[in-house]
Amino acid sequence: MAADARERPALVRWFLNPYTQLACDALLVTTAELLLKKGATSGTPLSASIAWLGIGALASVWTWLGILAYLLSLACWLYVLRHIPVSVAFGLISIAQVLVPLGAWVFLGEAISMRRWIGIASVLCGTVLIARTAPARRES
Amino acid sequence: MTAIAILLSVLSQFLLVCGQVLLRRAMKATPVRVGILAGGIVLLTGWFFLWLGLLADWDLSRLFPFEGLNPVLVALGAWLFLKERLGLTGWIGIGLISLGVALVTSA
Repeated sequence: MAADARERPALVRWFLNPYTQLACDALLVTTAELLLKKGATSGTPLSASIAWLGIGALASVWTWLGILAYLLSLACWLYVLRHIPVSVAFGLISIAQVLVPLGAWVFLGEAISMRRWIGIASVLCGTVLIARTAPARRES
Repeated sequence: MTAIAILLSVLSQFLLVCGQVLLRRAMKATPVRVGILAGGIVLLTGWFFLWLGLLADWDLSRLFPFEGLNPVLVALGAWLFLKERLGLTGWIGIGLISLGVALVTSA
């Protein structure tokens, strides 16, 4: 297994690195959540009694695209969990939560409140701390 | 938030944590434990639809305590059931991430 890994091209090894897959997962989850939020608010509610199940949102194409992105992210996530402890991986994947406001700030010029900046800084500091403990905790 | 919404939020968190613990347990074994994996995916599917329903009814800024606590709860579940050890630095990191997520989603 280790010998095989050395023979792979550098790009493949980079792609198969669990931390690369974790980054892919973060992007996919962010995309999925934006699509789902759009779908959840634009779907046709069937009836109030089952609306809490979220079934009404299935009427929206955005929800289905979101589900597709979620399925792809699940594949990445399973690969990640084969190599990294779930407490570390889940902490690192939470960076997806700050990609939405950061993306809106960079691409849409949306303002970010001071409270949000503090939150983003806190997530990034936490991510650095977790990442520093991660290599020692890494299992294969 | 209504009592039912809070109850459903707690239930969705419970499904998320148990689902993630099962996924890790299934994936770290060689060969992969397919039964446990299926169980984890069932629980996460339950979490997915519950959370989708909650997002349809409530703004994310009302659900921030639940979103924020997830990293801590998953780490606790992994500590209890998978014997994962983070160390002090790791726990501080998890705490900062949780606090940050709560601040970002509540704004």
